[in-house]
Amino acid sequence: MHPNSFVQLLLTRQLRSGGWSYCGSEQSSVEATSLAAMALSTESPDVARSGLDHLSRLQRWDGAWPAFVGDTEASWTTALTLCALNATGEFGSARENAFHWLVSERGREGHWFWRWKFKTVDRNVRFDPEKYGWPWVSGSASWVIPTAFSIIALKQYTVCNHLEASEKRVRLGVEMLLDRVCVAGGWNSGNSVVYGVPLRPHVEATAIALLALQDEHRSVMIDKSLDWLKRRAVSFDAITSLAWSILSLFVYQEPVDGLKNRLAILIGDGKKIQDNAVLATAILALNCGEMIHPFVILR
Amino acid sequence: MKLDRRRFFGSAVGAAATAGVAAKWTWPKYDVSYQKPISSVAVLNANVYSEKLESLILDGLRQFRLDVAGKSVLLKPNLVEDLPEPVNTNSTLIGAAARCFLHLGAARVTISEGPGHQRDTELIVQTAGLEPHLVDRRIKFVDLNRDELERVPLKASYSGLHELWLPRAVLASSFIVSMPKIKTHHWAGVTLSLKNMFGIVPGTKYGWPKNLLHWSGIHESILDICATVPIHFVIADGIIAMEGNGPLQGDARQLGKIVLADDPVAADATCARLMGFDPLQVRHISEGSRFLGNLHENRITMLGEEATTPLRPFSVLPEFQYLLASGTQPFPARQRSD
Repeated sequence: MHPNSFVQLLLTRQLRSGGWSYCGSEQSSVEATSLAAMALSTESPDVARSGLDHLSRLQRWDGAWPAFVGDTEASWTTALTLCALNATGEFGSARENAFHWLVSERGREGHWFWRWKFKTVDRNVRFDPEKYGWPWVSGSASWVIPTAFSIIALKQYTVCNHLEASEKRVRLGVEMLLDRVCVAGGWNSGNSVVYGVPLRPHVEATAIALLALQDEHRSVMIDKSLDWLKRRAVSFDAITSLAWSILSLFVYQEPVDGLKNRLAILIGDGKKIQDNAVLATAILALNCGEMIHPFVILR
Repeated sequence: MKLDRRRFFGSAVGAAATAGVAAKWTWPKYDVSYQKPISSVAVLNANVYSEKLESLILDGLRQFRLDVAGKSVLLKPNLVEDLPEPVNTNSTLIGAAARCFLHLGAARVTISEGPGHQRDTELIVQTAGLEPHLVDRRIKFVDLNRDELERVPLKASYSGLHELWLPRAVLASSFIVSMPKIKTHHWAGVTLSLKNMFGIVPGTKYGWPKNLLHWSGIHESILDICATVPIHFVIADGIIAMEGNGPLQGDARQLGKIVLADDPVAADATCARLMGFDPLQVRHISEGSRFLGNLHENRITMLGEEATTPLRPFSVLPEFQYLLASGTQPFPARQRSD
């Protein structure tokens, strides 16, 4: 089935508000809407624009986005939405506010007291608390996926204008990712070793972390992680993980045609995919190479 | 001593402040109580995951005379990561339980989970082998991490969170069954039916993992969640359990038991005893016995065999040696290094 058919399916699921929910409810999700707007940007730019307009109305006073309509707290979705807006080159004020919020946001271990605690008393998890990233929700610690999305969003936003404060923040985030990489490569949700036991990598976290590191020096650990992802991507049948693997491997110029074919078979007519965030990610993956990659970093 | 107006006023303010602080420490932190006079627990013997589990569980459930006819039953297994046995509640057991509730007259059964570490729930469901058990159209799976959410005031105040956004699938269910895997846990000591309810908290709002709950106190968050969303029944998977550095990196432990209970505290206390632990040493179980259910054996009716302490208790990390029931010999977790 051609990706256009999945686009049609996604179009029929847009809410009257302009957003998309995850799974058939009326509650617009910022993640689903951001991904849907990216997925529709080429085929249906007007609809994508209405999704972005909806998102711009949901932005908080401080520049952050909540996770869904009705939620009032700042959330990890801010980075994803900034990526979606970056692709348009418009929404200047919304992007600038989001940029400033991301530069100032940090994981809770970024506070001196918690850094001290993790260095001296609480050492069951092996990590360097001096290297912190971004949390899922304000008030908690840094984790891999929100950190990776934040790095991508900031790198994209500053592509023509490397500001000192944001460069410093991005470097700290990159160092955090490299500090938390699993022993044999790849990323778990946030830690690499707990109680002396190495954790195993997760597919989605590894794919998204690699996207954030695409323009960094190709260190041994990045190569190991890429190798792990290449091997793992051929061994499962889950749509989200496969789609993120394709999006990630593509920017490292790895062959993805075989994976795209397998993804198309798994999706079938797409109607079994209830989650619009999953459907949108799958469309982005199937269109890899045929549209501007929404997570590419051109620096 | 002459008590002038100023001294009287100062003393009154001091007394009021002292009373306020004392009240904060002694006043109950829960607004509800689900405790019954007597709770029932059944410990079933099963050594393998097979098709025979369905009749075993059905016979076990019939002992409780549950009224689930026409109800919307929500099964909450423990599906954490795309890892092999014994990390997740076994899918054969989940499927058997779902069919048993339909057999008992439930209108529909929803198997629901919001995995705590990985965003790709489909990958976890596939790895757990759950898909073949979802072919009956009356059994469906809901990803709680991405369900529609409703803001809910908490019915206890241990964590200080005051409210949580919770999934509609959970709030709309009329009968909630917690189906934990019996495991040790390197932050909470054990993960049983009460801790299993962390999985109803949605990742889309609170992240993967739901780290805000850790920062607010694991035991405290468990108590607040279980006060707000009561567990009506427990089916705990202890056929192959986990000991040592659980809930992910521990070792398989053949326990050969399934624990059924109409009270989550009684269920967890019984599971802890089967592990060779003193349930009073697990903070959320001991505190939960004030209002979530019964811990003491004199308020638990065992339907069938007694919960006996094993000859060798479950191994634990050194930090959790205090969990061991008196009279049991410590058996430390296998030490590994990276």
